[in-house]
Amino acid sequence: MTCTLGEVKNRADFIIYWGGNPAECHPRHFTRYTLTQKGKFLPRGRKDRTMVLVDIRETMSAKAADIFLQVRPGKDFEMLTILRALVKGQTVSAEAAAETGLTLEQLQDLVNRMKAAKFGVLFFGMGLSMTRGKHMNSAAALILAAELNAYTKFVAMPMRGHGNVTGADVVMRYTFSYPFGISLTRGYPRFNPGEYSTIDLLVRGDNDATLVLGADPGATMPKPAIEHLTRTPTIVLDPKVTHTSRLARVHITTSVAGISAPGTAYRMDEVPMPLRPPLKSPYPSDEEVMKKIVAAVQKKPAWYPVTRTGAQVT
Amino acid sequence: MLTLTLKESLTVPLEAEILTPDVLAPLPHADVRALPVMLGKRQLRLDEMFTVEGEGSDDVEIRGDLTKVKWIGRNMTRGRVRVVGNVGMHVGAYMKGGSIEVTGNATDWVGGEMSGGIIHVRGNAGAQLGSAYRGSMSGISGGTILVEGSAGIEIGMRMKRGLIAVRGPVRDFAGLQMKGGTIVLMSGAEQRTGAWMQRGTIISLKPLKLMPTFATACVYNPSFMGLYAKHLASLGFALPHEAIAGGYQRHIGDAAVPGKGEILVWQPKLQLP
Repeated sequence: MTCTLGEVKNRADFIIYWGGNPAECHPRHFTRYTLTQKGKFLPRGRKDRTMVLVDIRETMSAKAADIFLQVRPGKDFEMLTILRALVKGQTVSAEAAAETGLTLEQLQDLVNRMKAAKFGVLFFGMGLSMTRGKHMNSAAALILAAELNAYTKFVAMPMRGHGNVTGADVVMRYTFSYPFGISLTRGYPRFNPGEYSTIDLLVRGDNDATLVLGADPGATMPKPAIEHLTRTPTIVLDPKVTHTSRLARVHITTSVAGISAPGTAYRMDEVPMPLRPPLKSPYPSDEEVMKKIVAAVQKKPAWYPVTRTGAQVT
Repeated sequence: MLTLTLKESLTVPLEAEILTPDVLAPLPHADVRALPVMLGKRQLRLDEMFTVEGEGSDDVEIRGDLTKVKWIGRNMTRGRVRVVGNVGMHVGAYMKGGSIEVTGNATDWVGGEMSGGIIHVRGNAGAQLGSAYRGSMSGISGGTILVEGSAGIEIGMRMKRGLIAVRGPVRDFAGLQMKGGTIVLMSGAEQRTGAWMQRGTIISLKPLKLMPTFATACVYNPSFMGLYAKHLASLGFALPHEAIAGGYQRHIGDAAVPGKGEILVWQPKLQLP
């Protein structure tokens, strides 16, 4: 369950940031959408809103928060699961709850506030989705927000960063019906994160070539994945020389989207934003390069010459 | 008896869902050789990848480094598949009957959404053993998976019925969102065992790190332990004698769902009256 940032600005009277540091990583988030703006139904702006920050350490964002809850590292899933139990009025023992680094009273208070809110938002960052438990931590945040809708309006939204990553998800979703971790090897899309997702493919070494578009896996991925990128042909499309282009066979310099190439970028709430470039670039855009590659690939003969004999199993 | 030997080790995954007795048994030698397999995005004949010996049969033996061979025994309902060596993902997925034996290691998704039959892995297994596929409501709904080595994360995710027994240690989220069935953990698990479980039983012979949303119930010897031990012994998977008659601490949860699942942890030092 999610919404646009416009709705957050106009309606959200209760905001939780979980495992993120928006004050430093999304510096305009507070002022433009979540905290200080006056909204249609929140005429007094900041005074009408309550903000909770859940994180493992007191970051810069804690100063902006009304309540700061310091969760013990690696206990986010446990804390979210306790919150789910408390939302449903289940009893949780105080000793068991203490392992999250918070008292049962603090957690119960948070649940009471979440239920009392008119419109709650849970923003979760990489502190949640990239620590032990990974996708299940995100699932816990999403399911908590979904279940709170039995009491009030509550939405969850990931704090996306790094340019247009949301756009990649959105386009994949409307093209293949899945956002990521897709295999097209059989001619139709199949979805299985863990099997087809990039890091897992590279770590296992299941692919024999890689095309990198608008990313720098050489800087962020684990060592076995980078070694596989070095071993097999890697093609990088990027405006600048990245860690990945140093280990790639081919680097194609492209123009910068939004500065010297037009296009569409998706905001973290999946609202498309047109990009109008102020400058001209001598380099082609990613789109032009990709279209040329696709046209060249289409000229090659199809790989299905094998006559089909024997039983076909789907 | 049909014997297939992989000719060379693979660089990209080979999807060979036709390697089941249901497909192979009725076919003569020439037709077996012509069956389609997918090497990456290319469709090839089975004999381009495997040396084929014998006629189609309910007894199939597959040899070689099959680490990248996926979907062996998919949807099988009968017969016996023996894999000599390691095997790739999705072995025995959607299986309904028959048996699969793997002498080496298996990787992820062993017996995904199976509903009958038995899979015996002599080495280690990977993650999502007997789990539900993405977006699916239930994982294994019958049948048995036995693993002599260790297993990865999320084993028995959303399982509904059936039995999973693992001799080695397993990682996080064993029995995640479990809805029924039984998991036997002989060497314990890392953390978050039974998270979000609704129903079902997890038996552990080692102490577990439990979720805070589990409540402690009584200590007792569940009367079904003897039956389970006898059943497992008949499949060549013996439990230690002391554990069969011993006391088990019962934990109930997960309160977040709220669920009525049970986690039984063996108390070796405890003498039941």
